[in-house]
Amino acid sequence: MTTRSETIPLVAPKRRSLFLDWLLTIDHKKIGILYIITAAFFFMVGGFEAMAIRLQLAQPNGTLLNPDLYNQIFTMHGTTMIFLAVMPLSVGFTNYFVPLLIGAHDVAFPRLNALSYWLFLFSGIFMYSSFIAGGAPNDGWFSYAPLTEKAFSITAGMDFWALGILLLGLGTTLGSINFIVTIIQMRAPGMSFSRMPMFVWTVFVTALISIFAFPSLISAVVMLLLDRQLGTHFFNVSSNGSALLWQNLFWFFGHPEVYILILPAMGIISEVIPVFSRKPLFGFMTVAYSTMAIGVLAFGVWAHHMFTTGLPSAALIIFSADSFLIGVPTGVKVFSWIGTMWGGKVRFSTPVLFAMGFIGMFVIGGLSGIQLAIIPIDWQVEDSYYVVAHLHYVLFGGSLFALVAGLYYWFPKITGKRLSETLGKWHFWLMLIGMNMTFLPMHILGLDGMPRRIYTYPTDTGWGPLNMIETVGGFVVAVSFLVLLVNFIKTMRSPATHEADPWDGFTLEWKTSSPPPVYNFETIPVVRSRRPLWDEKHPDLADWKQKS
Amino acid sequence: MNAKIALFVVLSCETFFFGTVLSAYFYLRTTVLGWPLVHPPVSQIMIPIANTLLLLLSAGPMAWVGKAIDQKKIRLAQVWLAVVLGMGLLFIGGQIFEFVRSGMSPSDQAFGGVFFTLMGFHALHILAGMIMLVILVVRTHLHDFKFRRHIAVDVGAWFWYYVIGVWVVLFTALYLM
Repeated sequence: MTTRSETIPLVAPKRRSLFLDWLLTIDHKKIGILYIITAAFFFMVGGFEAMAIRLQLAQPNGTLLNPDLYNQIFTMHGTTMIFLAVMPLSVGFTNYFVPLLIGAHDVAFPRLNALSYWLFLFSGIFMYSSFIAGGAPNDGWFSYAPLTEKAFSITAGMDFWALGILLLGLGTTLGSINFIVTIIQMRAPGMSFSRMPMFVWTVFVTALISIFAFPSLISAVVMLLLDRQLGTHFFNVSSNGSALLWQNLFWFFGHPEVYILILPAMGIISEVIPVFSRKPLFGFMTVAYSTMAIGVLAFGVWAHHMFTTGLPSAALIIFSADSFLIGVPTGVKVFSWIGTMWGGKVRFSTPVLFAMGFIGMFVIGGLSGIQLAIIPIDWQVEDSYYVVAHLHYVLFGGSLFALVAGLYYWFPKITGKRLSETLGKWHFWLMLIGMNMTFLPMHILGLDGMPRRIYTYPTDTGWGPLNMIETVGGFVVAVSFLVLLVNFIKTMRSPATHEADPWDGFTLEWKTSSPPPVYNFETIPVVRSRRPLWDEKHPDLADWKQKS
Repeated sequence: MNAKIALFVVLSCETFFFGTVLSAYFYLRTTVLGWPLVHPPVSQIMIPIANTLLLLLSAGPMAWVGKAIDQKKIRLAQVWLAVVLGMGLLFIGGQIFEFVRSGMSPSDQAFGGVFFTLMGFHALHILAGMIMLVILVVRTHLHDFKFRRHIAVDVGAWFWYYVIGVWVVLFTALYLM
């Protein structure tokens, strides 16, 4: 074993109360935990909103929510799940594990990191405070102009939304800057880009996408605020403005945002599957290149959200073709994961079950995405439940399954305790069945013409039975998360085992103790291959000794 | 080095921000019927032209700050910082004068909104640059910088050049095209 002789002096921490300790922390691990807990809280809130939507739609002529409240609930459900749950959950894992995976003591700018977290927390609280300030935002998570203009949206809800998004965008941008610098500058000696773990790769590309996509969203919400507060006319057609300008600006952010949500999830899958298949990731550099290709192509597909807005046919063709094209690098990844498992000794522990669930569900969502790139199909099913089905298969079946896989995989590192396998398997099967019960019938309803965002529907549409199945499925998903909660409480009350390496892992985070000390590593490891810990455990079979 | 990479990323992000607002400007200008404006005659934009020259000239003293520190002339470095600060102030003054003189307001059709948004965000960047210059004056006073050890000055200078560059682009797009 070779290690650099650089040892890190131990600094005795100043004694603070537990509250101040977490409030003032600049340790990337504590900030990561804060992100995960806060995101889990907002996920729960967004989940309750989803349940309210499902209860309202369970039967025709539902009366649980009035139309106005229904608009607020689905808007906040989308906004919450995307900006306050899934994104910060992957940022939580990023915070905790990127420095560990690259063998660093912390991120490049620890104070900036804390600022990003607090901006995220306050933007969430701020947006939710709109409920008690006269009404929440109610124009959907993409807030189409001119419905968001003062004349049509008279409550302050849209102002809360725009300012909240502004704060959140600022926090995300600062976080991205931090991780780009961290990944470029703070890798352990010997860890070239080609030896960098795939999760770090995906985080790097995600941070780059954020840097280029968020400015578009920020400029759009600034214009919206100016329109509402200073009387400018960006989106006001009667004064030379353009409502389509909002759609262009929003989706120039909005589609790359989809990859901001899915790429770190794919990174987690690319860490979990090799470890549980006892093989290195199949086609490593191809997966890295496909990640970069997705990052580039993501900026050329935004108008496929606007196929029904009367774009010139040349634009339709270009955006349709690019949307097909982005399926190629995505498919490459799927084959790489299958290739990794193929011929491997797969251990079917909970993390890998969720990883396999991810692959299956993500492929379904990806295929309906390819269908939506076909312009005539898009014209038919645009704004119907078919689109709702598609986006939930990629965001719930995709991103969320992967993040849960990551939670089961990395939980022992964060807490020093393994989550129960039995309850984990219950969680997996309930979540898989529940999600398919909820979202599979949405394809049929969409093709049958059920529009999204309607607060109710008449009996003679015949949409009642399938909606009832969806509602039951939604509750099965809710129960599956209750199982996770029980598992969490039960595990936290059991004594810690402090296994450093419970899964027989390949990467550096398993080298240090569980939970890791403040300084992460006593000595900075020297990296000679993509699987530094494998090399250390099997000196004779070390990757860097094999001819490649 | 961390600070320099971070600055590079920040400026890329800023470029996309100004880029999207500028795209919005061109989008409205090309797709909306009855866009009000052809570019004004040169005789009417003397103040913006003077402001452009002022900003371009301020790059000189900004570059000499680091040089002065390398030559251990701390006093001179402070003089150059003050000169840049003064030019920034003059620029802001010129902008305010020009906006008042033109008699336009942000609520004048879509053009007023996009014009003042671009100009306003650029002015905010000039102000941010000036705050940074004040901090640099204080830090040179505290002898924080030594021979070839003045990364804050370099980062500040790059930011200043960048804001000058943004002005040149905005001036061309809004006044000349």
